[in-house]
Amino acid sequence: MILDIKERLGKTKYDIDKSYAHITVDDRICEKCPHHFCVMACPAQCYTMQDGKLNFQYEDCVECGTCSIACDQGSVKWNFPKAGKGVIYKYG
Amino acid sequence: MSDYDAIVVGAGNAGSAAAITMASKGLSVLLVDRSDPPGTKNLSGGVLWGNDLAKILPKWQSEAPLERFIQDKKIGFLTEKSSIIIDFKTKIFEENKVGHTVLRSKFDPWLAKKAREAGATVIPGITVESLVKKDGKIIGVEESGDVVTSNVVVLAEGINPRLAIEAGLRPPLQDWEVSVGVKEIIKLSPQKIEDRFNLSSTSGLASEYIMGNLGELNAGAFFYTNKDSISLGIVAPMERLRENGVTHTYDIIEQFKEHPSIAPLIDGGTVAEYGAHMIPEGGLEMVPQLFGDGYMIVGDSAGFGFSNGLVLQGMNYAFLSGILAGEAAVEAKSRNDFSSSSLSTYKRKLDNSYVLKDLRTFKDIRKVTNNKSMYTTYPKMLESILLEMLWERGQPKKKVREILGSCAADLNVGKLKTATDFYYMYRRM
Repeated sequence: MILDIKERLGKTKYDIDKSYAHITVDDRICEKCPHHFCVMACPAQCYTMQDGKLNFQYEDCVECGTCSIACDQGSVKWNFPKAGKGVIYKYG
Repeated sequence: MSDYDAIVVGAGNAGSAAAITMASKGLSVLLVDRSDPPGTKNLSGGVLWGNDLAKILPKWQSEAPLERFIQDKKIGFLTEKSSIIIDFKTKIFEENKVGHTVLRSKFDPWLAKKAREAGATVIPGITVESLVKKDGKIIGVEESGDVVTSNVVVLAEGINPRLAIEAGLRPPLQDWEVSVGVKEIIKLSPQKIEDRFNLSSTSGLASEYIMGNLGELNAGAFFYTNKDSISLGIVAPMERLRENGVTHTYDIIEQFKEHPSIAPLIDGGTVAEYGAHMIPEGGLEMVPQLFGDGYMIVGDSAGFGFSNGLVLQGMNYAFLSGILAGEAAVEAKSRNDFSSSSLSTYKRKLDNSYVLKDLRTFKDIRKVTNNKSMYTTYPKMLESILLEMLWERGQPKKKVREILGSCAADLNVGKLKTATDFYYMYRRM
């Protein structure tokens, strides 16, 4: 019953906007970040550390907004996805 | 001349309730939502108390897509190996059927349809990009360069209110104002659900837990039965998550599912959906200026939620704040005055309702929910007391006073600290 987060995210429906990232991060700020709390806080594993460097992808985002608060360094810029794009809950 | 009397941004419970209230009184209303069908980005734990919904939709109990009425309500503590639960099952819930589990992606499109039937123009799949201001007054919304104007904008954006923040109507949210909620839907047959939880084909169970097995994360959990699925999840305060710094939010929910008292309840089920949503937990202190020239803020965007660790409510506050904002707009229309002073009736209505009364009554509740002992020491203490009282180990029995004394010593808590904690719980809860 215990599933890897990627497998769980695979159950959720999305209409991914391939041409627009609704969240962006500033690599120069992330490089100097003392905590990378986003990696722990994001429920959708959009933020990961790879070789000591922060890696971000918006495709699995469930639009909860947690990272907009978790990031206290001013790196995360959060906008709503364009019309109808992004997560589409079947149950909610 | 504005395009509409009112534009409502967001088709959740608060937004649709506002739209229904205004449209049914003859106001021209535009309800926009960034998802299509409307409301399918919305997510809740899932228990809806419908007293306020009944004011605008008296037949909601027979018409709305509800899952199960709450007959059995449990609250309790989990420790690593134990669960201590109060199981409250009452005929009174069955006779009233006011609490129901819901799945928001079914419920919210229905509510938006009701807004349409009341006369509102409902346009899903519209992401409002900014609020339009003129002479300090909010006069409409903008999407891709197109401006639509209204006398009043009702902001029902939810807990992540980008438009209100960007327009300077509220400051960006901070750690202490929110918890992170993570949820899964577990498919399970109605037969299994009814047998496993001793339910009828329409009755349901709602459980809420304090997770005493996760140390100082101060996390709670919920477990609700739907018709053919379980809604379960965890709620963890952002402040504690940051302080902890090593726990992934997506792992906490799995720890809940693995707990020895939870795992058997979902045995044989399959994960059908994973989601997350923030929850307003800042109480009265996080409530922004609720109205101004040409706008009102409702629901989660206004910080309307209630949590004491064991009770978690928000949808009821969303309905009522939406209705009251709708009423204020109707009155403003009759005066043809949508200025800040005219819309201040919204705040007065809230002041006289349980929305702000509750937030005022429990303004110090965070001192209880922030108390780490509530999540660490006291669940363990309860477990120790019950083990002493209920477990025959061939040893001499102790009086309760002695048990308490030895538990306190084992857990290294002082009498004064415990007495103070309980005094404050008694005062604030």
